[in-house]
Amino acid sequence: MPRVFITGLGFITSIGNDAATVTGNLRELRHGFEVFPPFQKPDIPCKVAGTIKDFFTDSADPEDWTFSTRYRIKRELLRSMAPNGLFAHCAMLQAIENSRLTETDISNPGTGLYAASGGSPYLTHIHHERLLKVGVMRCSPLGIVASIVGTLNFNLVAAFKIQGASCGFSSACASSAHAIGYAYDDLALGRQKRMFIVGAEDGNYDAILPFAGMRTLSLQTDPNLASRPFDAARDGFVGTGGATVLVLETEDEVARRGVTPFCEVLGWGQASDGYNVAISHPDGAGLRLAMGNALRACRVAPEQVDYVNAHATSTLIGDVSEARAIRSVFKGDAAHVAVSSTKALTGHGLSLAGAMESGFCALALREGFVPGSAHITALDPACEGLNIPRTTQNATTTIVMKNSSGFGGANVALLYKRV
Amino acid sequence: MPDTVQSAAPAPHSISATPKTFSPEDEAALRETLKRCSPSTFEAALQFRKTGNAEHVPAVVIGIVERFVEPDLRTKLKDADDDLRLIEDLGVDSLTMMEIVILVEDVLAMSIHNDELRNLRTVGDVKVFIDCKIRGLPLPKPTKFLPIEHIGAVMPMQPPFLFLNEASVNSHSANGKYKITGQEFFLQGHFKDNPVMPASIMLEALGQLAVLYLLEGHIAEPGKAVDATKIFFTGCEGVRAHRVCKPGDILTLAIKPKRNKMPLATFEGSIRVGQEKAIIAEEISLVFAYSDAVTTPSPVNGAARDSQTNGTQPAPAAELVRTANG
Repeated sequence: MPRVFITGLGFITSIGNDAATVTGNLRELRHGFEVFPPFQKPDIPCKVAGTIKDFFTDSADPEDWTFSTRYRIKRELLRSMAPNGLFAHCAMLQAIENSRLTETDISNPGTGLYAASGGSPYLTHIHHERLLKVGVMRCSPLGIVASIVGTLNFNLVAAFKIQGASCGFSSACASSAHAIGYAYDDLALGRQKRMFIVGAEDGNYDAILPFAGMRTLSLQTDPNLASRPFDAARDGFVGTGGATVLVLETEDEVARRGVTPFCEVLGWGQASDGYNVAISHPDGAGLRLAMGNALRACRVAPEQVDYVNAHATSTLIGDVSEARAIRSVFKGDAAHVAVSSTKALTGHGLSLAGAMESGFCALALREGFVPGSAHITALDPACEGLNIPRTTQNATTTIVMKNSSGFGGANVALLYKRV
Repeated sequence: MPDTVQSAAPAPHSISATPKTFSPEDEAALRETLKRCSPSTFEAALQFRKTGNAEHVPAVVIGIVERFVEPDLRTKLKDADDDLRLIEDLGVDSLTMMEIVILVEDVLAMSIHNDELRNLRTVGDVKVFIDCKIRGLPLPKPTKFLPIEHIGAVMPMQPPFLFLNEASVNSHSANGKYKITGQEFFLQGHFKDNPVMPASIMLEALGQLAVLYLLEGHIAEPGKAVDATKIFFTGCEGVRAHRVCKPGDILTLAIKPKRNKMPLATFEGSIRVGQEKAIIAEEISLVFAYSDAVTTPSPVNGAARDSQTNGTQPAPAAELVRTANG
């Protein structure tokens, strides 16, 4: 089976809109949170979000949007995009640039694209309101492709003339991790030679606030305290949006093009809790199985893993169940393997999370550091027994694990290796 | 222009001529709806909504089309003739067409049916279509694009005295192109060692386009068709030549019917080379007569079968069906 590598990365995230800025902020543990203006209403208890800087996508009309002049996007493409589509398009352009892909490398039957976003609740609302108000025949002809789940793959496949495999993944917060896993499979099985993996979310009022009803959002008003996975005083996650694009290629393509990969993708595993529609299994049963499956599939022993980028979103139940799962997988080595959650800096990107944090792992492997788990003042006693660095470690790591869990108890573990 | 479409129609009752009180809120909504269009588009729409006067409609429609065209293509629309094609020249795809339609519906307070959109190929088609809808007139025939095989099959003139290479015809205009090859027999003597297209021949070319209009674009009396053997020149007025035309020049010909009532048809015509005016005729008059309609399709079908080229023209039979449905 051909080996698979990450050769390109693009980021539009709350902690930076390019790989260099993201790396700097991960190293320095600078978060991307702000008191979010749309939340500042008396009936909205949650106040903070991981904001995307330099992109203004408040309007329902893409032609009103403003963003860096670095990206020039025709109206013909913009008109069918949600905010997450814009973020993803820009991240695609970055990933194409830093993986040095030509147009023919991108548009051919061997190159595909897997994407994950929750669609655009914001645009869904706007278009349905118009449907009800002015009638079914006067809805925007592109309202559907701009707003439903799948909007990312529809738009990007057309815009970048992708000819290989394409589809969307919908396992909530595990979506883009699933996308990476299945893209790896397609490459390892020789079905494709290159895959783009895209995760993106609007990260606005309509995308984040529905989680308030579940009582899963942090109510902290201080952006420095709101997201603190593994801390005893954590009170929920902080929502964010943005996009990350990863370019995965087979070893043949890497050799042919003569590029230096960020890291190798060793493989993955997945498993389900079979427990609750929205609550993770208290012992992290599904995640434990997923991690075990990943290690076995990649023939990696637990003690070979140097760092786990945790799913930990800063919710009360989720962080503990993940801590338990990690302890049970790594057993005696649990105190050796470094565990951190970069959601302390970015917030929780939902469908975007798995791709974004895999991008972080790739940067950490290439640059030789382990991002610290920020904002912990008092570690939750239930998370003790793990090696959770509070500050960034300059350390060369060889094998890194990325966990992602989604609604319904879907769990994915991905393994990456330094090149 | 629109009054030539169906001069026999009874005084129509405009669908939006019931000028409901147009409130400041309506005006604000209209301004918001047209916020990406030129100020003159908004003004025209405002006047139309306040008065129901259909004269403002073309400006509204062109303003809306312009808004959906990529900026670098908008100059084409600035001095566009009605023959400018939406797909080929302006890059308007079917989804953009839907966007245009929805905005037009919104702004002009009207509804447009999907089936009605299929035949709208040019800017002129769109203008006439909307105008007819608003005035409650029957919808015009779609623009027909005629290759040389079709022209040769229906025209009484034939080479070497046929001065049209291609043409498009609809109920309110006809446009054509002719490339001066330098092989035209009369150029040997006009002039000595200096071939110049005679102005009289250019006028003839406009006359031929007018003949083609009568045969392909004119709406005949029911059951009748214009008899190709009974069209003749009677006169012209206000002819001015502006530019010497020589081999290699591509003449862009345009005629618009002014009055068409058997036996007299009058047109205005012009020829351009690129953006330069070559000749204009304020009035070209032809006489014509009708015969029974049944015989007309046969030469067309024959020509399509005999033609060596294929795929450039929709099957005439299908076209007739479409016209019948329209």
